[in-house]
Amino acid sequence: MPNIDSILFAIIQAAILFLIAPIFTGISRVMRAKMHSRKGPGIFQDYRDLVKLMKRQDVASAASGLMFRIMPYELLGSVLLIAMVIPVFSLASPLGMAGDLITIAYLFAFSRFIFSVSGLESGSPFAGLGASRESTLGVLVEPTMILALLVAALICGSTNVGSISVAIATGQVQAPTAIFMAFIAFGFAVYIEMGKLPFDMAEAEQELQEGPLTEYSGQSLAILKWGLALKKVVVASMFVGIFLPFGTTTSMSPGTLLIAAVLYLIKLLAVYLLTGLLENSMARGRFLLTSRVTWVGFGVASLSFVFYLAGL
Amino acid sequence: MSPLGLLLISVLVFAGGAFLALLCFKSDRISIYLSGIAGVIGSLASLAASLPVMLEGSVVNYANAGLFPFTHFTVRFDPLAAFMVFVIALLVLIASIYSFSYVQEYEGRGAWTMGFFMNLFVASMLVLMVVDNAFYFLVFFELMSLSSYFLVIFDQNEEAVNAGFLYFLIAHAGSILILGSFLIFWWQTGSLDFEAFRGAQLSAPLASLAFVLAFFGFGAKAGMVPLHSWLPRAHPAAPSHASALMSGVMVKVGIFGIIKVGVDLLHATTVWWGILVLTIGAISAVLGVLYALTEQDIKRLLAYSTVENVGIILMGVGVGMIGLATQQPVLAVLGLLGALYHTLNHAMFKGLLFLGAGSIIYRTHTRNMEELGGLARTMPYTGMAFLVGAMAISALPPLNGFVSEWFTYQALFNMSLHGEFILRFCGPVAVVMLALTGALAAMCFVKLYGITFSGMPRSEYAAHAKEAPAPMVFAVVLLAAICVLLGLCAPLVAPVIAGIASSLAGGVVVNVAQGTLILPGNAEQAVLSLPLLTILLIALPFVPMVIGALMKGSRLARRHEGDPWACGYIHDAKMVISSQGFAQPMRFMFAPLFRLREQLNPSRPLHAGMHASINGAARSEAVIDTYIITPIIRVAHWLGGWIQWLQHGDLRVYCLYVVAALVVLLLVTVA
Repeated sequence: MPNIDSILFAIIQAAILFLIAPIFTGISRVMRAKMHSRKGPGIFQDYRDLVKLMKRQDVASAASGLMFRIMPYELLGSVLLIAMVIPVFSLASPLGMAGDLITIAYLFAFSRFIFSVSGLESGSPFAGLGASRESTLGVLVEPTMILALLVAALICGSTNVGSISVAIATGQVQAPTAIFMAFIAFGFAVYIEMGKLPFDMAEAEQELQEGPLTEYSGQSLAILKWGLALKKVVVASMFVGIFLPFGTTTSMSPGTLLIAAVLYLIKLLAVYLLTGLLENSMARGRFLLTSRVTWVGFGVASLSFVFYLAGL
Repeated sequence: MSPLGLLLISVLVFAGGAFLALLCFKSDRISIYLSGIAGVIGSLASLAASLPVMLEGSVVNYANAGLFPFTHFTVRFDPLAAFMVFVIALLVLIASIYSFSYVQEYEGRGAWTMGFFMNLFVASMLVLMVVDNAFYFLVFFELMSLSSYFLVIFDQNEEAVNAGFLYFLIAHAGSILILGSFLIFWWQTGSLDFEAFRGAQLSAPLASLAFVLAFFGFGAKAGMVPLHSWLPRAHPAAPSHASALMSGVMVKVGIFGIIKVGVDLLHATTVWWGILVLTIGAISAVLGVLYALTEQDIKRLLAYSTVENVGIILMGVGVGMIGLATQQPVLAVLGLLGALYHTLNHAMFKGLLFLGAGSIIYRTHTRNMEELGGLARTMPYTGMAFLVGAMAISALPPLNGFVSEWFTYQALFNMSLHGEFILRFCGPVAVVMLALTGALAAMCFVKLYGITFSGMPRSEYAAHAKEAPAPMVFAVVLLAAICVLLGLCAPLVAPVIAGIASSLAGGVVVNVAQGTLILPGNAEQAVLSLPLLTILLIALPFVPMVIGALMKGSRLARRHEGDPWACGYIHDAKMVISSQGFAQPMRFMFAPLFRLREQLNPSRPLHAGMHASINGAARSEAVIDTYIITPIIRVAHWLGGWIQWLQHGDLRVYCLYVVAALVVLLLVTVA
C-alpha cells in the first residue's frame, strides 16, 4: 500500500483542485461576458450559485429513481479520484498506483457513463438527447486522447503519468517533434473535454454537457455542476501537468511546492484564457458534423505517432 | 479423487441428465428439475476437477487404444483445458440454477427436449476440452454444434429455423476447414494424436496453411468478423440460458481451438500469424460494438457485443503469439493473460446480461427495447445486477472487464516498445482501436441499460412487470458479485491465469501481482492497485454527500413526482429518445462501416449461391436427361423391340430355336 505521505499529498491536491474549480468556471464566464461587451457576473458567481442551490429543494420527475440520486455523487467522486492521481504540483504522480494513463482514460469513461445514465434515468426528452450526445463526444475524443498519451508514454517507456511528466521535464526525450505533436493533439482533446464551442456550449441549458442536467435541481444540481467544473479543471491540469511540467518539483519541501503551485495556477489560467479566446471566436456547428472537426485532432495525434516511428 | 475421475463423473452426470430428461417426456416439470439438478451436480464436479489442475499447473494424461488405429482415445487435462472447464462449469452452474424457473416458461412446449440438448451440449463441450486426438475432437465438436443447433431452432418459428440454418451452414463450413487443417497434420505425421501433432516438423508453408485453415475454422465458431453473421441471428433465437452459454462459453471453444492449434500444436513460430490474429481481432472488436450499438433487440445487441469481446480476446491471443514468435516470453505471457482473463470475464458478464435479458423476456415477453423502460423500479435486483454487468462489459474500473483490458493494453504497449517496425506500428494502432471499442461499448451499454431500465415505461407490459422469480434473481446477482470480485481480487486471480499463460509459453514466470498491486511484468511500466481504486471510488462520493449535509440550511425534503419537463408540452413516453435515436449520431458518423455490413453479410451471396447451385443442378439434370438417359432408354426400347420379335410366343418357333442352337453347337464342336 502507498505510504501515508503520498496519500495525504494526493488528498490535499484533490482538495485544492476541488476548491478552485468554481473560480475557473467563473473566469470563463467573465471572459465570455467581456468579449460580448457585457459586464459579467464576477468570478465568484459560481460559488454563490452553488451555495444557493445547496439550500434549494430537490425536485425531479417521478421516473427518477435510485440511480438518479446516486449518480451526481459518483460523478464527483470519480473526478476527484482522477484529481488525486494526476501530477499537478509535483512531477511524480501522487498516487500512481491508483491509476496510470489507461485507468485515467477509463475513469473519464466511467464519469461519462454515469452522467449519461443519469440523463436517461430522468425520463426527460432533453436529458436523453444530451446523454446520447455526451456519449458520442466520448467516442470522438477518447481515441485522440489515448493516442496522444500513448505516444508520450512510448517515448518515456511507461504508462505511469508521473513518469511521463518526469521524462518531459528533464528533457530525456528522443523524439521532440513527436512529443510536440502529441502535445497539440492532447490539447485538442482537452479543449473538447472542457465543453467548448464549436463542440459544446457548457453554459446553456439543453446543451450537450448540461443536457443530462435538465431534470436535476437543488443539491444534486449543485454537486453535478461542481463535478463538471472540477472535470474541466482536471483535464486542463492533466494537460499542464503532463506536457508542460516546467517549474514543478520533485522535492516535497514547502518552499518549492509553493513556487510550483503558483506556477501551476498561472499555467492553468493561461490555458483557460486561451480556450476562452478560442471558444468565443468560434461559431456553433451542427452536432452531427462534429466528427469532421475531430478528425483534425485525431490526424494530429496520428502525425505524432508517425513522427515517433520516424524517431524525429 | 483424481481430477480426471471427477471430470468423468461430471460428464456422466450431464449425459445421464440428458437421457433422464428424455425419459421423462411425459412430464415437462420433472424433466426440467432433473436436467437442472444434473447441471448443478455435474458442474460442481467439473469445478472440483479443474481447480487443482489449474492451480498446480500439472498435466494429467490418460490413453486408451481404441477399436481402430485412428480412434486412439487419449485425454490430456492440462492447465488450459482445466481453465476452460472451469469457465464452462461456472457459467453452467449458474445457468442451471436459473433454468429451474426460466424453463417453466416452456412447459408444455417440449421442455424435456431442451433439457436433453442442453445437457448434451455441455457434456460435449467438457469432453472437447480434454480429448487429445483429432478424431474425437471433431466428433465432439460436431456433437456440440448439433446440440446447440437444436437449441437454436427450439422455438420452431420461421426466424429460429432460418437462423438455425445459417448457423448450421457456417458451423459446418468451419468444421470442414478444421478437418482440412488436421488432415495436413495427419498427412505429415501419420497419426491423429495431438501428441504427434505437437512434435510434427511441418515445412513453413504447410504450417501456415494448417494454421490459417484452423484459424478461420475455429474463427467461424468464435464469431469473428467476417464469419460473425450467424451469431446475431442464432444466439437471440435460442432460449436465454442457452444463449448465455452459447455466447458466454461456446464461442470460447473457438478461441480455445485457435490457441490449441496456433500455440499448443504449432508453437506460434511465425510472426505474421500473430499479426493476422491481432488484425482480425481489432476489426472484430470495432465492427462488433458498432453494430451492437444500433440494435434495438436486446439479445441481438448482446450477440453483436460478443463479436466485439471475441475481438478483444483475439487481440490478446495475437499479441501472445507475436511474443512467442519473436522470443519475448514476457510479451507472450502478458498477451495470453489478457486473452484468458477476458475469456473468463466475458463468460461472466455476458452470461449475466443474457440471463438478465431472459428475466426481462420472462416478465414482459418482448425483446424490443423500444417497448421497455423503467424496469429498474419494477425489477430492482435484476436492474442492479444488469447495471453491474453493463459497467463491467464497458470496461469501467474497478470491475473485471477493465482489468483484463488493462492487461491487454499493457501487452500491446509492451509490444510497441521494442522490436521490428511492423510490430511498433501495429501495437499503437491496435491500442487506438481498443480505445475506440471501449468508448463505443460504453455508449452501447449506456443505451442498453438506460433505455431498458431507466426512464418511463414505454408499454403496458413494461409498466406491469414484476421482479423475476428467486432462482433467476439469485443467478444474476451471483454473477454480478463474481464480476465485482474478479475485478477487486485481480491481484489474486492474475497470477493463476498468468501461470496458465506461462504453461503455454514455455514456463516463463512473469510477475503480474505484488501484494495488492497488479503489474505487467515490471513495475517501471505500470502498477495498479485495484483495491485502492475501489476504496477510493466508494469513499470519494461521500465527500459531496457530507458537504451537502453541512450546507443543508432550511432545505425542504426531496420531491420526486410528476412528469419530466417537456418544454411546456404534456410529457409523453414517446417523446423520450428511442434506442434508434440514441445511436443515430454513430449511424451518421460511421456510415461507411454500416454499409460494409451489408456487403459483408454472407446470407445474400449464400442465398444466391444456393439458387445458382439449385438452378445448375436442375439444368445439369436436363442435360443428363437429354444426352445420356434418353438415348439409353431409346436403345433399350429398340433392343426390346427386337427381343420381343424373338419372343414370339409360338411353340414351333421355340422348337426351331432349339434345333438351330443344336446345329450351331454341333458345328462348333466339329470345327
